[in-house]
Amino acid sequence: MADENENEKMDNENQKPEKMFTLKKWNAVAMWSWDVECDTCAICRVQVMDACLRCQAESKKDSYGKQDCVVVWGECNHSFHYCCMSLWVKQNNRCPLCQQEWSIQRMGK
Amino acid sequence: MFQEKGQLKFEDKWVHMRPIVLKLLKQEPVSPAEWQELFYDVHLVCLWDEKGPGKLRDHLHEDIVQFIKQAQNRVLAQRQEEALLKAYIAEWRKFFTQCNYLPTPFRQLESSLQGKTTSAGTSMQSNNNKKGASDESIVRKLMLDSWNESIFSDIKHRLQESAMKLVHAERNGEAFDSQLVIGVRESYVNLCSNSEDRLEIYRENFEAAYIQSTEMFYRMKAPEHLANNGVLAYMRYADAKLREEEARAQRYLEAGSNGVIQCCVKVLVGNPLSVLLAECAALIKDGETERLQLMFRLLERVPEGVQPMLKELENHITQAGLADMIAAADIITQDSEKYVERLLELFRKFSKLVHDAFSDDPRFLTARDKAFKSVVNDTTVFRLELGTGRSIAGKVVTPESKCPELLANFCDMLLRRTPLSKRLTSEEIESRLRDVLLVLKYVSNKDVFMRYHKAHLTRRLILDASADSEKEEDMVEWLREVGMPADYVNKLARMFQDIKVSEDLNAQFRTSTERHDAINIKILNAGAWARGSERVTVSLPVELEDYIPEVEDFYKKKHSGRKLQWYHHMSNGTITFSTNSGKFDLDVTTFQMAVLFAWNQRTHDKITYENLRLATELPDGELRRTLWSLVAFPKLKRQLLLFCGIASAPKDFDEHTVFWVNQEFALIKNGKTQKRGKVNLVGRLQLSTERSQIEDNQSIVQLRILRTQEAIIKILKMRKRISNAALQTELVDILKNMFLPSKKMIKEQLEWLIENKYMRRDEDDINTFIYMA
Repeated sequence: MADENENEKMDNENQKPEKMFTLKKWNAVAMWSWDVECDTCAICRVQVMDACLRCQAESKKDSYGKQDCVVVWGECNHSFHYCCMSLWVKQNNRCPLCQQEWSIQRMGK
Repeated sequence: MFQEKGQLKFEDKWVHMRPIVLKLLKQEPVSPAEWQELFYDVHLVCLWDEKGPGKLRDHLHEDIVQFIKQAQNRVLAQRQEEALLKAYIAEWRKFFTQCNYLPTPFRQLESSLQGKTTSAGTSMQSNNNKKGASDESIVRKLMLDSWNESIFSDIKHRLQESAMKLVHAERNGEAFDSQLVIGVRESYVNLCSNSEDRLEIYRENFEAAYIQSTEMFYRMKAPEHLANNGVLAYMRYADAKLREEEARAQRYLEAGSNGVIQCCVKVLVGNPLSVLLAECAALIKDGETERLQLMFRLLERVPEGVQPMLKELENHITQAGLADMIAAADIITQDSEKYVERLLELFRKFSKLVHDAFSDDPRFLTARDKAFKSVVNDTTVFRLELGTGRSIAGKVVTPESKCPELLANFCDMLLRRTPLSKRLTSEEIESRLRDVLLVLKYVSNKDVFMRYHKAHLTRRLILDASADSEKEEDMVEWLREVGMPADYVNKLARMFQDIKVSEDLNAQFRTSTERHDAINIKILNAGAWARGSERVTVSLPVELEDYIPEVEDFYKKKHSGRKLQWYHHMSNGTITFSTNSGKFDLDVTTFQMAVLFAWNQRTHDKITYENLRLATELPDGELRRTLWSLVAFPKLKRQLLLFCGIASAPKDFDEHTVFWVNQEFALIKNGKTQKRGKVNLVGRLQLSTERSQIEDNQSIVQLRILRTQEAIIKILKMRKRISNAALQTELVDILKNMFLPSKKMIKEQLEWLIENKYMRRDEDDINTFIYMA
């Protein structure tokens, strides 16, 4: 059987060239990051890709704790940790960077 | 009895009393009547004759002295030492017994003599009670003092001498009646009438003499023994003698004084200390645990004895450890497994030595740890150049030990599917990982270990090459347990989480479309996996390119606010290679795929380097490396690609070098060509580009600088002001789980912080720093 198959293939190659290399499996790797203009959260000074300071401190307790520390964008297009911003607006409902009135444009998911 | 006071004279009564007193002194029988008579007479004399008590005491004294004189003569009549002691002890015991009887009839006298100082009546009675309670009678004191003054002062030197001669004889191995020495001691102890310090006479005379004669004896004997028999025999001798003297002191001396043992220690150990210590290094070298035990036991008794031993042990471990490493340098620099096993073998050997010879005494354990540290962090055998690129920084970086890197490599061999991890049982792997953590404890630059460990973990997870995923996660927890920085460990944990999330995502993606069972996606958190690492551009083969927008669309539906970046240098896959003679499955990197697929349109063509570059759009370095892996893969006898010209390294290709597919490609197993088969050409998965490797090294140095600044500010914020020395200590303590900051770096960072007004020096003391908010 195997030999027959190969003969077939050789024949095929002579007629219309079959591809020498064919893809069997591809393990593609990509990295995601928040689509932000500034890497660092201006409130806690931690990179937005990492959990904010509070979440880091809490996640120490349960080591695999879900670090659901997402990013939030304001209408002004400035972005912060959601945790940080929700504490901030309790004091002052303005964006810490541009002083515009804070309203959420979108949340990271 | 009813006569007028003064009519009854002391002299009249004394004639009756005296014979009874004398009989008592000589321990001759006294009838009860006589005994009672004596009480009565004492009472009368004290009551009726004003001067009676005084006279009574004087006469009594005279008689006692008289009696003692006779006793002394009897004692001194003995010429022989032993007989003299025997006689003395006999006399003393007799006399001492009388000290308990004779005072009884004279109680009244005591009261009267006391009464002279106190008023009378009730207060006298209370005084009496006190006297009785303290067991201190005037007559008794009179007796003991008289004995002390007359007989004892005269012959105490002879007594002591004789007693010491006996002890001396015993030291020389002659038997004698130990009761004699004990008897003399007892007389010294009991003689003392000073109630504050009952041992005064004993200590000033007997004990002093005992110590002196002991010291004399060993001063003579010890150096002689040392000279004749050598140090090793001498240590046994000294040890035996010390025990012997301890036992002897218990027999002959009062408890509670350690003087004689201290003196023995001084003479037996303290004086020849340097000679003994000179032997220490050789004993450690030869692993003479019993003798070391002995030496430790001896030297521990003198104040400066143990310190030099610790030094010797530390030196030995450091030197022997390094010598061992250097001797085996050829093997261990190549083979992390051999290196770690060699290290552990050394550790076990020296730990056993410390255990056997020094019973794990904490001081010796510390010395051992210090030595281990210097072995592990030594840079003579191999060094890791944290090359910051001298041209850029213009500074010479101190080399560091390669140990952390090798440890991480060894971990990788245990955790990845390798011949080693297949050979070992789960328990063996666990115990070896624990061993790694043990060695890691001594490594000063743990940040280097962390970097390599993380890189290895990244490769294992991306290539799905872990031997045991449970063990992988255990290892993360163990790293946490041994005190690795939490942010680092959290990132590792995050990586496992990401892989699981990706698996789910991949399953969802496959069900969302029908034709995609050829793709496997891993979408990972850039923060945990690859911060700042540079991406490499490549023009993907169409077969791959097609997937990209679909995956991106799918991902956008799942998440928002995220952007994706493809890391093609990390991705990989399997392709089927069909030749005239066979069909092979090749595990390849995406770059290798991009190069090979260039031939799909022109199977038998020869393609120049330049054209491959245009086709793949790979950067020069990457293309050269990728081609090299296809023309010269170490495990293959027949290579996949062939080229014209001579090249012994990737850099030897030039733009006109031509490459073509080897149509004769085959796998060769046991000398036979195979028509089918699978081969892995991935090799070591590349995580970063050449340039970013230099950046990686720089980032370690940069991170250290930041960590140091951070730690300095943290300390200052807390302390407000702090001396330089204290700051350095606290700094090392904070940073020790990451790296050991060099003095130079600390100084540079302090200067930087001062320049940038985070802190300032005290105006009066330049070695004190003050925090500036």
